[in-house]
This record gives sequence, structure tokens and C-alpha cells, in this order.
Amino acid sequence: MSGLLNAKVAEKPDEYKNVMIFLETRDGKIAKPALEMITAGSKLARDVNEKLIGVVMSDDVSSLSDEAGYYGCDIVIGLQSKALKEFRTLPYAAMFSDVIMEMKPNIVLVAATRNGRDMASRVAVRCRTGVAADCTEFEIDKKTRIMVGRKPSYGDSAFAEILCKDYRPQMATARPGTFIPPERDEKRKFQKDIRNVKIPDEFLGKEIVEFKPKKEMDLSSAKVIVSGGLGLGKPSGFKLIDELAKELNGQVGATRPVVDLGWISRDHQIGQTGQTVRPDIYIAAGISGSPQHTMGMKKSGIIISINSDPDAEINQISDYIITADLYTAIPKLLEEIRKRKGATVEEEIVKEAGTQKKVRSKKKKENEE
Amino acid sequence: MALEIICLIKQVPDSNEVEIDPVTFTLKRATARNVINPSDENALEAALRIKDKNDAKITVISMGPPFADVAILEAMARGGDRGILITDRAFAGADTYPTGLTLAAAINKIGKFDIIFAGEESTDASTGHVGPGVAEFLGIEQASYTSNSWFENGYVYADRELEYGTETVKMKPPCLITVLTNSNIPRNATLRRKIDAQRKGVETWTLKDLDLKPEWVGKSGSPTVVQGMKGIMEKKREGKRYGIDDLGKLVDEMISSGVLKL
Repeated sequence: MSGLLNAKVAEKPDEYKNVMIFLETRDGKIAKPALEMITAGSKLARDVNEKLIGVVMSDDVSSLSDEAGYYGCDIVIGLQSKALKEFRTLPYAAMFSDVIMEMKPNIVLVAATRNGRDMASRVAVRCRTGVAADCTEFEIDKKTRIMVGRKPSYGDSAFAEILCKDYRPQMATARPGTFIPPERDEKRKFQKDIRNVKIPDEFLGKEIVEFKPKKEMDLSSAKVIVSGGLGLGKPSGFKLIDELAKELNGQVGATRPVVDLGWISRDHQIGQTGQTVRPDIYIAAGISGSPQHTMGMKKSGIIISINSDPDAEINQISDYIITADLYTAIPKLLEEIRKRKGATVEEEIVKEAGTQKKVRSKKKKENEE
Repeated sequence: MALEIICLIKQVPDSNEVEIDPVTFTLKRATARNVINPSDENALEAALRIKDKNDAKITVISMGPPFADVAILEAMARGGDRGILITDRAFAGADTYPTGLTLAAAINKIGKFDIIFAGEESTDASTGHVGPGVAEFLGIEQASYTSNSWFENGYVYADRELEYGTETVKMKPPCLITVLTNSNIPRNATLRRKIDAQRKGVETWTLKDLDLKPEWVGKSGSPTVVQGMKGIMEKKREGKRYGIDDLGKLVDEMISSGVLKL
């Protein structure tokens, strides 16, 4: 058992330079939330003319580290060991902390996924510094190089501005779905440092005995989301929601109460304890608009509310308000969309006679995306 | 020998009742009822389920103001055996670092423990850092975001719910487990247990009971500071209204403005 240690003020904060990010992987690829950290991190690094260092761990990091470079890391540190094949708290936290203490970055960002938070909490203690949790905005003071992390609080009505003035590195986790992943570019130049590491046995006490994968419900990249709330009145209401979502090539979202009632699985949950999304179109059906829900979808391009209550709170943040019973409104909406869809397809067929196949395969491709 | 289980709980203002001062963006704590943090209730239930099947003793620990003893008594009335409140003016204003440190110091003082349970995060700060922080200070294994956990042949097992699947992990005690909100249905307190809890009472520990220096805890031991609150600039939304007969018009409008691509 280690002795308890207090947090430690950095004696020479100027020695800490650059922005370091943790690159979480899934299925041998860099996870999308980690790509988002490249966006957030490179902005901070550029603002003070520093470098972005990406740290990736696995049993084989050769292609992962190239990817990290193609996506925009200036320096990629790849830590390689059989014991790092999949995420486990202790080896990951220990290795990441070692790199931090060696390279002394001014800022460390970790995507606030479940594993990211799991690890970041321990890394902060190991490095004896603070961490601003679950931020959605960052800003760096060009002179002092002190970062402000902004974390939505109180149902998203305000940001708490969190600083870690005297401790280094300044750590933060960032909410997935907030930043837009950068473009991949194989022409980007970067430095690569691949290391084979040995993980001490003391960190290998936890064994993963079973893994049941599930298709990740990545609502954060959906262009259209149709969500249902308590106003559906019954679990089967999600059939209608699903139909509209499918018609618009979108995904299905839900509020926490209906998830709690078991009407739909938790991976559809949007809001404070669920996912944060920013689709082009968000349709809220039978959703009153509590802050717990709206903080997860407020940044959507267009918000459409369908609610029988003309004064529903959700209307205040909606671009289009449909005051009607959703069981009447959604079928009508479907009908109107299908009418126009039929028209577009016919037009295309007429215009590009003989290229029907192309049209269809293009549609198919869109569906897959 | 009985399993020694520790359950960490926090008293929070009921998030359904919290009001926010629109000018200062601070919580009007006085208006809200205090409750056990929701995921901590699930953590306690997870601990009780292990106690149901094994010879075990549960110690409930909370750090907070003196009136947080109510939350501990409630946890004891549901099945906790011992309650400890860590309270001292010196602990006020702590961020996650000194909070984890203080809880770890209290656990060290208890001595032997096999499993520590905590909620996934609190509703009033929602960092999820305190549980894993405690595990790091104690140098023990952890499994976070679990929906189920059990004890079998000397090992602790837990199902971790991740964005891309469920992993079952196996650990040797001592270890720490954080439990997801709504992952189980917390049992009710019984009248007999309520009376029992009142009779036993809650032990109170202050800074001088722990192996910590005053400058390590509370605000002075916190690496982070909340500089202030900033209102979030909201995007202006039109709020155009449509009746059931105008939906065709709405679809047309969305197509012509390029929002809807069919």
C-alpha cells in the first residue's frame, strides 16, 4: 500500500511545455473521442507555439502511431507491450503517468469516455496534480500559459471555469461529442517514438475474463436524431420514432426518464448522464425539455419540437415548433417527407436515365455512413 | 472471516429540486431537500447484495457537513453496519484530489478492508474522479462503471458497462468498485433497522483523527479552483410555429434552406 501524498505545487511551471493527449483505442483504431482531443489539443498548442504530443498504447502501435500523426499529432509516443493490448486501469495509468513525468507537458487532455475518466482520475493522483473534469471548452492565456477549462454546470445554464494555476501538468477531461475530429492527412509530418515497455506485475492484478461487444450507439456522429420522451405515453411509441429516424437516415435518441422506465436501452440516452450530440437536425417528440436533457442536445443545428403542450419548455430552444399530438404529427410528417422523396427519386431517374444504379449505390453508401 | 466492505456515500441536494440563482449561477442549496447521491444508493445496494450472500460487514463513510449524518443513518437503516462521518471545517472547499485523499486516510484508519463501493459520480459535481482517486491513494485495483458485481472463491467480479460493450473483470481483494446509477433497485429501510441505526449512531471523525496535515485538505489542498461562473451564450432560435396542416410547408422550408436533404 502506497503512502498518502498531498497534491504538489510545481516549483518550476516554466519547465512544463507542450500539450499531451491520451489516444484511446477501440478495435485497433484511435477512438473518435480521442480524435476530438487532437482538435482541442492542437488548438491549445498552436495558441502558444507548442507541440501536440499524442500517447497511444497497445500490443502493436506501429499503424496506430502513424494514424495519430496523420490526424495531427506533432509527436507520437507509442508504448508497446502485450499487457497493453486492451485497456486496463493500472498498467495504462502507470505508463501514461510515467510519460507525463518524463516529458513534463504543460497540459494533458483525456477524452471523458468511461475508460478515459477511469484512468485520468488515477493519473492525476499519481502526478499529484488537479484535473478539470468533463469540459466542453478550453482556452489558454498566451502569456501565463494557464488553461481555463469550461465545464457546463447546473443543467447547462452556465459554465464553471476551472483553473489549475500552480500545479503541473494542468489536466482536463473533455466530454465526447464536443469537438469535431480533424481531417486525416497522410502528408502531415510528425515525429514517432515507439517504445517497448515492461509492465511490472503489480499492475497486472485485474483480469478481463469476458467481453461482450455491443454495436456502439454513436449518436455523436449522427446527422439526424429523432428522440422520444415521456410524452410518447407507452414503450411502443418508439416504433414511430424509429420509423421517422429511418426515413431521415438518422438515429434514435431518448430522454433519461424513458430509459429509466426501460422503454429503450440506455445507449440511446441523451443529456447530462447520457451522450452529448450535435446533429444537423434534432427532432424532440414528446419531450418537455428539462435541462438534464437539453444540455446534451442544445448545440444541434436545427431543433424541431413536437409537443401537445404549446408552452413546453423545449419550445424555447426550438427553431420549429409543432404543437400537436405526436401520434398525428409524426405520421403526417412521414407522409409529407415520403411524398417529396418519391418526387426527388423520380426526378433523378428522369434526369439521369441510365444512371439509376449509381443513384442507388450512392444512397446505399449514405445509409452505411 | 467476514468480508469487510466499505461504502462511500455523499449527501447532495436533490437535483429535481435544485434552483439556480440566475445572477450568480450558484446553487440555492437551502431550497432543495438533501438526499443520498443517486448512484451511491446503487453502490450501497450492490454492497448489500454481496452481504446477502456472504458473511460481510458494511461500513458507510461520508465526508460532508455535520448534517450529512442523516444520509449515513439512512444507509445504515438499509443495511449498513457502521457509520462514519468525516467532518471538519478544514475539509471545506475540497476538489477531487483532497477529497480522495481524506477518504483514503479514513479507510487507512479503519485498517482491514476487502471491497470499497462508491457511486459512479455525484450529481452536484459529476466528475467521477473521487472513487478511482481513493483507489489510487490506497494503491488498489478498481473496476468503474459497473452494473453488477459478486464475490466468488476469494475473487471479486464485476461487469463494466463501456460505450462499446460489457467487460467482466476479476480482481483479488482489496479493490474498489464504482456503481452505475439505476443499475439496481435500492432496497427500503426497515423500521427495525431504522431504530437500530439511531441506537448505534454515527461516529464523527475530524482532521485530528486522520493522518493528514491541514494544508493537504480542503481548499488549501485542492489543485483546481473554480474561477467563477460564466453564462452560456445560447444560439438564438426562431421558434416558428406549425400546426398539423402546415407540416408540408415545414418540410418544404427545410428542404429549400438546405437543412433537410432527402
